Amino acid sequence: MIYRTVGQFKTSYASDQALFPVRQDAFLLGIILLFAWVIFPLTASEFAFQTLLIPILIYALAAMGLNILTGYAGQLSLGTGAFMGVGAYACYKLITIFPWMNPVVAILLSGIFSAGVGVVFGIPSLRIKGFYLAIATLAAQFFLVWLFEKWSWLYNDNASGAIQVPNLDMFGVFVAGPQAASITQYFVVLAIVSLMTVLCINLTRGNQGRIWKATRDMDIAAELIGINLMKSKLTAFAVSSYIIGVSGALFVFMWRGAAEPNLFDIPLSFRVLFIAIIGGLGSIMGNYLGAILIVGLPVVLNIVPEAIGLDIKSATVEHLNIMIVGALIVFFLIIEPHGLAALWRLVREKLILWPFPH
Amino acid sequence: MKHWKTLAAAAVVSSFGAAALAESIYVPNLSYRTGPFAATGIPLMNGQRDYFEMLNARDGGIGGVMIDFEECETGYSTEKGVECYEKTKGNAVVTQPWSTGITLQVLPKSNVDQIPILANGYGFSPMADGRTFQWAFNAPAGYWDAASMLITHLDGLDGGLSGKKVAFLHLDHPYGKEPIPLYEKLASEKGFEFLPIPVGLKEMQNQSAQWLQIRRERPDYVVMWGWGAMNAGAITEAVKTKFDMSKFYGVWWSGHDADLDLVGADGAGYKSISWSFPNPDAGVMADIKTHVVDTGKTLSNPDEMAGVFYGRGVVMSMILAEAIAGAQAEFDTGVVTPDQVRWGLENLNLTEERLAELGMEGMVPPFSTSCADHTGHSGAWILEWDGEKFAKASDLLQADVDGYSELLAASAKEYAEANAPWPVNESCDAMN
Repeated sequence: MIYRTVGQFKTSYASDQALFPVRQDAFLLGIILLFAWVIFPLTASEFAFQTLLIPILIYALAAMGLNILTGYAGQLSLGTGAFMGVGAYACYKLITIFPWMNPVVAILLSGIFSAGVGVVFGIPSLRIKGFYLAIATLAAQFFLVWLFEKWSWLYNDNASGAIQVPNLDMFGVFVAGPQAASITQYFVVLAIVSLMTVLCINLTRGNQGRIWKATRDMDIAAELIGINLMKSKLTAFAVSSYIIGVSGALFVFMWRGAAEPNLFDIPLSFRVLFIAIIGGLGSIMGNYLGAILIVGLPVVLNIVPEAIGLDIKSATVEHLNIMIVGALIVFFLIIEPHGLAALWRLVREKLILWPFPH
Repeated sequence: MKHWKTLAAAAVVSSFGAAALAESIYVPNLSYRTGPFAATGIPLMNGQRDYFEMLNARDGGIGGVMIDFEECETGYSTEKGVECYEKTKGNAVVTQPWSTGITLQVLPKSNVDQIPILANGYGFSPMADGRTFQWAFNAPAGYWDAASMLITHLDGLDGGLSGKKVAFLHLDHPYGKEPIPLYEKLASEKGFEFLPIPVGLKEMQNQSAQWLQIRRERPDYVVMWGWGAMNAGAITEAVKTKFDMSKFYGVWWSGHDADLDLVGADGAGYKSISWSFPNPDAGVMADIKTHVVDTGKTLSNPDEMAGVFYGRGVVMSMILAEAIAGAQAEFDTGVVTPDQVRWGLENLNLTEERLAELGMEGMVPPFSTSCADHTGHSGAWILEWDGEKFAKASDLLQADVDGYSELLAASAKEYAEANAPWPVNESCDAMN
């Protein structure tokens, strides 16, 4: 009923190829954007900004980067955490070497370093596939984290080996560091993440996206129809690593405020991979749904017992939390192995047909 | 008339009710009873918790105000730690961050949120400089104190350190790397060779490569800066490679009874420096037994309560309780604010007599803090594992604070510059 498409006629090719062939989709997106840009910033508390809104956006961006590589181009990667680290350390060096640099520019530039490193570690993908490639990216993961620990130039020879975000301002307003207000950081993150999302949607719908999908579905066939596999795979690595690098810089500069090398270790890679898989490989929206489930849900579950007045020990809540989230992941994967985005697609299709299930 | 009486009674009751709600001091603790470090966390958390439970049961809190002591579970994860910090900071009078990672996150925010950070015996050593770190405290002793005391102690043993070799087995993490600048400085002063041997977070349980290196290098002493699984790994590996345990020293976080229990008598001779010592005969332990254990409120057990870490947890809570009590006396109020607790932490004066009054004889050395000195530099004892338990093996050692005050001031200044604009309290002049 809500999703009735009756009367929405397509009279030109352009309208048939539009981003939202169904008007309700655009309407829904408008509501979500209204919430993200207006309602959440007006109502959210400091706690909500720091533990829900900002991390969900940043993790969703990281998963989106990985999704370009794994979901669209079919190249499995376990090095996401390390590529995020490259972005974070690059941003840190840029900011400390050029203190006058605009923080947002620094964040966007740091992705370029990550893209370069990604391309280098993507070269093995020309020869090896699937799980074997995953192992090669795993090597990147271990090597880069080791480098973050041992190359003291990266953290300006700080005795503790950690990087600390200084206070950075943009047009007189602090955007990073301890003096920055959460709401400012949220808007910076939201703006960058929105920009990247628009970029990704258009990239994956266009020519390049089709090249990647062809590579993913069957690389020999793709080669036969004239796709340059080297170019296709390496651009996937470059674009994906760029986005991951930007998310890494946001991760440290707009959220954590400080980072030690082991933050970028393999658990982070797995976390982002889980978000991408549970959200749905080969989908942009799935990254957000996955991030909400993996990053947001545990935080919400943690405050539920207190909110309803149950007196449970904090440690017990934590144990319960791990069990509940684990069970939910299994549950969602059983009802829809292709992730939350596929689940939403199914629900939407049923809604369009409703009330005539045939 | 009758109506008025009931109304008045209701008003009185409700005002009491409101007062009772407001009349408590919220003390959160970012605990870790889950995750890879839980084994070391639980006894410490239990000690901290039981002391406040005891105060609430015995004295009705501090100065007649109940202490609302609440744990927020972090599992030692920095992400969860920040979540807990955001969740608790609204009403908290203090932040006890526990992990170095969380401390690093919270420290820059301390000037903005204005909640004191209490990191007893851990965290960033330059926090001792109270002028730069106005809101951070690491009483009673910091890591640089530990390094200084250990080297002084080793220097006093057969013929001094000159020409000897000291291996520094440490966790490759901010925590383990922190004392290296001081060790290097001391090495050049005292003329010993300093050999840092890092243990990666992933190698904590399998240190065969590190111990092979130790066997090859034949150091005169091994000093360990370990935490969690790394301690047990190092100690079992030392026993396996037949390293002379009497040449093996650890920082206070490497002196956990359970780690040594694994090797039992084979570990005899291992030493750990510590600013706390479990004294089961102390008055405070008897009070905890009567008011917390016997009423079934404890989460601990007798074995654990006799250990070093439980005792340390009790001492930590005592330091905080003293700060709260001091603040109450100074500002003549019951419910203290974070700012007042900061004053209390800055003006701790735990003399021998005060410790005896608190029933803490021999559990912590006497110390005092000031506006400029946020550590107190209490000194520490060397504890030796005798095969069953830790026993005091030295007199009270004192750190050579003057010897590293330059390094400390330089690090503090560097931190302040890196985090500019960073307010520095110019009103206190005396440095440590």
